[in-house]
Amino acid sequence: MASVARQETPLEHEDELELVGMAQQGDRDAAEALLERHELRVFRLCRRLLPQGEDVEGAVQETMLRALRGLARFSGEGSFGGWLVAIALNLCRDRLRRRLLVPFQPLETGEDEAAGPLAVVPSSEPSPERVAMARQAVERLRREVARLPRRQQEVFTLRFFAGLDLAGIAESLAVDVGTVKTHLHRAVRRVRAAVEEAKP
Amino acid sequence: MSIEHLTDDEVDLALIGEEVPAGAAAHLASCLVCRRRRDSFLAAVNGACGEDPDETTRARIRERALSAWSGAGRRPHWVRWVAAAAAVVVLSLLPLLRSELVSRPKIDTDAVLTEVDDVLSRDPLSAAAPEEVVEAVVPAPEADGEGSWS
Repeated sequence: MASVARQETPLEHEDELELVGMAQQGDRDAAEALLERHELRVFRLCRRLLPQGEDVEGAVQETMLRALRGLARFSGEGSFGGWLVAIALNLCRDRLRRRLLVPFQPLETGEDEAAGPLAVVPSSEPSPERVAMARQAVERLRREVARLPRRQQEVFTLRFFAGLDLAGIAESLAVDVGTVKTHLHRAVRRVRAAVEEAKP
Repeated sequence: MSIEHLTDDEVDLALIGEEVPAGAAAHLASCLVCRRRRDSFLAAVNGACGEDPDETTRARIRERALSAWSGAGRRPHWVRWVAAAAAVVVLSLLPLLRSELVSRPKIDTDAVLTEVDDVLSRDPLSAAAPEEVVEAVVPAPEADGEGSWS
């Protein structure tokens, strides 16, 4: 799965803590390196959680700024990535609350996204039927995710769009792993069923 | 390979990233039907995820955040400690300053009064008006030394 990032090794964690320490001292290069490591995850999260029309780039930038300004509060107990994702999550919740909009994009698929699923559909020769099926599956997935209860939406998004592992999700949401599993199981069961309905 | 395909729960476990039973994992590795079932879900996820921003866009967003941080809002880490230390020093000095004000030496009023009396006894007008006024009203006597006030 392209969107799920690999797990951080202990060595990388040590390296990251060193960067955090330097950034806390005001080192701009260290701060930039930290942001660069996790920005894609934050971008994916904001794009999926914020409604269409919301300024995703602005949300990512605001997330980064909040993190940089709050660096002194980062204790280093968890991962920096998880902490950053938690900031992004709170920012998205704030924006959604303010606008009182339903998260996730509507069903219309943008032209730029139309070819997305085709690249990973397990077929070497995508026929028009397969193309239509893939689009339908994507639409169903979006629609079903949008219908999930808020906490299930967040867990699903963090797992499949932001690429966090179960422990990372638990850390970001400040809940235990068992709770994450419960929400994720319910969400995946529902969304998978909807996606499989798109099959002929 | 077992001919039993994965159950819904086992597919979900595989999708979530949890450990699947050993038999199911072996089946998944060799069964095209089950793999296609898993992969079609993941393909839909990737499709819904959309395009990632290019490097130029990412760099622009990052740079804006860093500029805002390194602008007026950012202070070196040690500045906060220095400011706190300065505040502690000022607060600890306040009682000393106050006692300094309170313990200022008292004026010896007797000595002052004695000095005033002394001045007045020598030249009472000099205490009442400036010297030029006194000169104008009471011209100084001639050099013969008669008519002196003293």
